[in-house]
Amino acid sequence: MVLLREGMCPGLDEDFVRRLRDAQVKTVEDLVSSDMEDLAQKCSASYKALIAIRRVLLAQHAAFPVSGADLYDELLSSTAILSTGNPDLDALLDSGVYTGEITELAGGPASGKTQVCLGVAAHVSQHLRQNVIYVDTTGGLSAGRLRQMLRTQTSSDDEQMEALQRITVHRAFDIFSLLDCLYRLGGDGGGGGGLRQASSHGGSVKALIVDSVSAVIAPLLGSRHDEGMYMKSQVAITLKAMAKDFNIAALVTNHVTRSVEGEVQPGLGVSWSHVPRTRVLLERLPDADIDRPTRRCATLIKSSRRPCLIRAELDLQWWSRSERDTSGKRKLDRADS
Amino acid sequence: MQRPVTTLRLSPQIKVKVLNAGFQTLDDVMQVSALELSREAGLSQEEALEVLQVARKEGGADGGGAGDGASLTALDLLQKEEALTRIVTFSSRLDAALGGGLPVGKITEICGVPGMGKTQLCLQLAVDVQVPPCFGGLGGQVVFIDTEGSFVVQRAVDLATAAVRHCTLLAEEAEQRDAAAAFTVETILSNIFMVRCHDYVELLAEIYLLPDFLSSHPKVRLVVIDSVAFPFRQHFDELRAQRTRLLNGLAQQLISMATKHDVAVVLSNQMTTRLQGGQSQLVPALGESWGHAPTLRLLLRWAGSQRQATIFKSPDCEEATVNYQITTDGFRDDDRSEQPPSKRPRTLAGQSAAC
Amino acid sequence: MLLCQPPIRTTEEEKEGGGNVNMTESGAQLFARLDGRQSVRDIEPRLFPQNAQPGPGAVVELYGTEGTGKTELLYHFLCRAVLPVHAGGLELEVLFVDTDYSLDVLRLVGILDARLLAAAAESSIWPQRPEAHVRACLSRLLVAHCDSSRQLLVTLHTLEARLVSRPGPALVLLDSASAFYWSDRGEGGASVSKQEENLRKCSQLLAALLRDYRISVFASCHANRRRCGHASSSFSHLCRPWQRLVTHRVLCSRQEVAPARGGPRGHVFSAHCTSSSSGGKAYRNCSFRIGDGGLEFV
Repeated sequence: MVLLREGMCPGLDEDFVRRLRDAQVKTVEDLVSSDMEDLAQKCSASYKALIAIRRVLLAQHAAFPVSGADLYDELLSSTAILSTGNPDLDALLDSGVYTGEITELAGGPASGKTQVCLGVAAHVSQHLRQNVIYVDTTGGLSAGRLRQMLRTQTSSDDEQMEALQRITVHRAFDIFSLLDCLYRLGGDGGGGGGLRQASSHGGSVKALIVDSVSAVIAPLLGSRHDEGMYMKSQVAITLKAMAKDFNIAALVTNHVTRSVEGEVQPGLGVSWSHVPRTRVLLERLPDADIDRPTRRCATLIKSSRRPCLIRAELDLQWWSRSERDTSGKRKLDRADS
Repeated sequence: MQRPVTTLRLSPQIKVKVLNAGFQTLDDVMQVSALELSREAGLSQEEALEVLQVARKEGGADGGGAGDGASLTALDLLQKEEALTRIVTFSSRLDAALGGGLPVGKITEICGVPGMGKTQLCLQLAVDVQVPPCFGGLGGQVVFIDTEGSFVVQRAVDLATAAVRHCTLLAEEAEQRDAAAAFTVETILSNIFMVRCHDYVELLAEIYLLPDFLSSHPKVRLVVIDSVAFPFRQHFDELRAQRTRLLNGLAQQLISMATKHDVAVVLSNQMTTRLQGGQSQLVPALGESWGHAPTLRLLLRWAGSQRQATIFKSPDCEEATVNYQITTDGFRDDDRSEQPPSKRPRTLAGQSAAC
Repeated sequence: MLLCQPPIRTTEEEKEGGGNVNMTESGAQLFARLDGRQSVRDIEPRLFPQNAQPGPGAVVELYGTEGTGKTELLYHFLCRAVLPVHAGGLELEVLFVDTDYSLDVLRLVGILDARLLAAAAESSIWPQRPEAHVRACLSRLLVAHCDSSRQLLVTLHTLEARLVSRPGPALVLLDSASAFYWSDRGEGGASVSKQEENLRKCSQLLAALLRDYRISVFASCHANRRRCGHASSSFSHLCRPWQRLVTHRVLCSRQEVAPARGGPRGHVFSAHCTSSSSGGKAYRNCSFRIGDGGLEFV
């Protein structure tokens, strides 16, 4: 976990650390993995003192197992399902995006990923009155568009402004900026902007949107492949830990790749495919493009709650619909009917 | 969450040395002095200092939040967006559909087959961005990166002349008359910084250096690359994956630059045919993943004998199609033919209220 | 606990060598208690080769790409293990080490609910408070989340203290063993042995725990390539000490099937199990669907 340092736990003074180092025990992992009797001899320390130090270090650094029953209780009291604001998408996602997990939107250019992200941000901040963190990696975030969407929910300028203030925007155009941003949010250090601090100040964050993950990872894959894979795994770990630890719904976007047979798959490869718990593929409708330019087809391609491969047709315009067309017809059909 | 040192913005060589010395997390590094670090990890003093600087910045010792990652609220962003004047195209219908013109701080791509007027529109924008603020322009300068050798000075002169004439006719108040007097063809041409790039290496190098140029020329509001496709459609027959990676990196550099320096980035792109389901289809070149790069995509195409511009991708405008023509004066509305019946009303109704 | 206890419970106890009413016990009794009381051998006879069910000391690796049912299989084992004996379970204590942050407790509760209901319907005794039964099952489960291989190693070290106190966990589920593969590659510097150090230490530690405390480990492992070939040709990319630990490998895959009369397109999952215990290699294939109530073998 970390290098052994003096003062990490009672009994571990400078001299002790040096003697341990001489015995090739530098880190916490080294110490807990060592045979205590051996080590006591090697660094001429008392066996009892070593055992005590080991016990404290284990308690400090191990993950503490929680009973399943407690976890369930905690989940029942804290899990929230955030409506996306779009009834068709909600139906597909089993009523919305869930806190504590990662939901992914995958799609080609102009398939509506950013529109869905903006729609969710506007809905969560205005309708659900929760704070949102929006990490923009492509410059696709348009506050003007958010305002348009908010206008359909409230006519009050003040409320629109308040809703906009509940959305915190981070812009990160390369992988290091994204990681800086995620670690800063998830960290508990003294730095500003951490989620732990934010939640202790009353206003809790319920949604974290990253649009898009692939934009900053894709430039690394290829020649700096291993570094790219590593960075990808770090983004995954931080997102998962944040979603769980702070009980946040993480919504991320991904681009798609096309296989030789023309089959569309979400990008970032197999190692990323385990990361989101729910994946939705957004596609433009092949026909009727001119007639209904804002309608998209959404397919559920990974879910632990609903059968995979069910489809819905959704209208991106829904989030900024005017009062007149609220009655607009909706459709939710199964893939093959 | 413990942050591994490997996720810091440091060179791989330095990271390996730090790792091999047993430092794994940010906390590990923060505990030692530069002297100790340089001794234990075999780094030079400067390198050790750099590591500590990066670590301290991210470790939050000084409050963090500096640099790119600085956060703002959507309200701040809205105010920023509203403060940035858009670049008009001189086609009032296209401007209306775009919500007042091309956005500054974003990447716009103009796609079309040869002869559609991509370069014309690029030139038009290069002139328009210079329109003085009292006429609703930006009074900005331009970096024009020409990769195809298609920049023709005479055309720039034509368009500039038309723009100057337009402003002179509009001038009413004293301020506008003064501005119009200073807005001449010569000043317009002198405010366009021309760069000629012959291949993708030169282009990538230029983009790499551009942020410094923009810092020393804060009046630049527009960067044009005409075209981004040409250098990347040669030399890459066997190396599609490498091309995709280079392009992905380029896209992130461009949007970063556009955001930091408040410039509009305008790219032109060629069209290519894609076979899908036995049908061939004309799509923008450079592959599908490049399609994520532009924030806004304009498709220029023929509809019979009519030139049409379609907003194909945009975060804040609806998809819309307008007619245009290329005249001796430049890129203009086309009123010759009848209005297409179905699309026009929706386009305007949807946008005019919002923007 | 208000568990209804059908007669089957007592027969089970007799079979296991009786309730330990004596204060003293012989070595043989101790062994029977350690070995017999909490046997995972019966955890899923339909999946593992006959004569090669994974007993105490077994390490089962579930290998496959995303969406091939690995986590669902783990839920299945988990449910079998924590359900009460009368509902077809083993009533074991389980430690779930969640390195992928993949454990969906709501999903788990859904499966437990379905199993308890099915068992109740069979025995025609309707439970008074199904919620309490689910909670009783969940109280046999411990969950630990780890965000790095360093933390995983330290956490496994604390496991020993739990195993010493009886009844400790008999079954450790790890989802997944490959979670930190790329992190470790990136943080290990240039040498492969350094990259694999933590997982190697974890494997060595597990080997000792398997030997001393007769626990079983079921772990998932993500394939790192899109298409993994069949059976023997596919190989795990994890370090050698881990691979030597594995006694049963289950290769998971998924096929899309044509919709059944108006229903949505669906998937059928296959598991190909290879066991390489002392008695030589044994194989078994099985297929299942995944429904609201968990695995349904076909």
